[in-house]
Amino acid sequence: MRYTTISALLLLSLRVDIYAAHAHAFLDHADPRVGNTVKSPPRAVALWFTQNLESAFSTIEILDANGARMNAGNASVDASDRKLLRVPVKVLPAGTYTVKWHVLSVDTHTTEGNFTFHVAP
Amino acid sequence: MSIRFPGPAAPALALVLASLAGAAAAHEIAGNRFFPATLAIDDPGVNDELAAPTIAMTKSGDEPPVKELDFSGEYSKRITEAFAISAGPTWTRLFAPGGPTGTGASGFQNLDTTFKYRFYKDPVHELIMSVGLSIEWGGSGASGVGADKFSTYTPTFFFGKGFGDLPDTVWWARPIALTGVVGYAIPGSARTLTFDPDTGDTGIELHPQFLNWGLSLQYSMPYLKSAVYDFGLPDFVNRLIPIVEASFQTPAANFAGTGLRTTGTVNPGVIWVSNYFQVGFEAIIPINRDSGRNVGALAQLHVYLDDLFPTTIGKPIFGGPVAPARPF
Repeated sequence: MRYTTISALLLLSLRVDIYAAHAHAFLDHADPRVGNTVKSPPRAVALWFTQNLESAFSTIEILDANGARMNAGNASVDASDRKLLRVPVKVLPAGTYTVKWHVLSVDTHTTEGNFTFHVAP
Repeated sequence: MSIRFPGPAAPALALVLASLAGAAAAHEIAGNRFFPATLAIDDPGVNDELAAPTIAMTKSGDEPPVKELDFSGEYSKRITEAFAISAGPTWTRLFAPGGPTGTGASGFQNLDTTFKYRFYKDPVHELIMSVGLSIEWGGSGASGVGADKFSTYTPTFFFGKGFGDLPDTVWWARPIALTGVVGYAIPGSARTLTFDPDTGDTGIELHPQFLNWGLSLQYSMPYLKSAVYDFGLPDFVNRLIPIVEASFQTPAANFAGTGLRTTGTVNPGVIWVSNYFQVGFEAIIPINRDSGRNVGALAQLHVYLDDLFPTTIGKPIFGGPVAPARPF
């Protein structure tokens, strides 16, 4: 009986926790797509992650080939889709751009990464 | 008095299987790189996780060969963000003609405990290094399945390196990662005196020291999609990590006259990763007759407790997940 009670409490605690489970936030996909070339310059860069994000601690930085920052504003988490982080960018001439991201998922796991995309001439 | 050893194949296979069962693998993240938990060798990761079950089927190089089935599990718990303790049992079934009486045997192997500390992590260059000490507790398992009466201590160095920093000209190689392990197994007892009541003969059974080393070569499809080039492949494919692991045991000391030589296996396979768990399958290919006969198989379910239970059993005992001090 005692073991049954202990087991039930343990399962209950895990059950409560699993409902609140959130893993590390990894990049799922992006627009422009990772490594791809776009024909027309994007107005914004959007990143979809595998987990909901904390807006205040999640950011994107867009750099051109010379390392110049091309952000046209601050990155923000979409209010209706907290897995989406988006940043407006300046008019991007043809070239290669590096996207550096650093995010905090809602369970306080931090992850970071980077990739490039290209704007066709 | 004579120096003897019960044939090279039996201890060789035991070492191979012990290394497989004792693979206290842990997933790890460094920058863009996600290192999955490897199946055959231990990797540099330190985390809260559960590997259960790991199932291995092999056939020894003995004459006649003995088929062996192993079920193992392992629980790894972080004490701090960079230090973890892991432990787990392995249950072994030896089919006939294995075991002391030749009719087969079953029972637990000695319990393994590993203490691991990650002392270096470079997210930019996707480099991780750790050190650890594994202890196989002598006498905690069944001698009928080959568990030693003495403990064995193995100080070990681990590393992991992702190649995301390669130049654009070899962009296709950026998803490649290499992990490795080098350990030195020191038995707590150098020899055992033996006595045969039928013949009255006495003997000495040596307990050699071994260099345990291994590598894993991985090609990460998740990395390809999220950091190199998104080909728009199906989600199932984007979660695959093809992998080849190799695990070797080289006798290093106290093995004169035993006939022992380097044994090991090469394990090609694949790991499929989700946000909360991974499953892996590998073939076990012996590198020589002493390492085994025929191709074996290895399968594992591995659960990321730090992602499933981030606020309870999935966080370090001292210090939780590290929150940034300021917005980026």
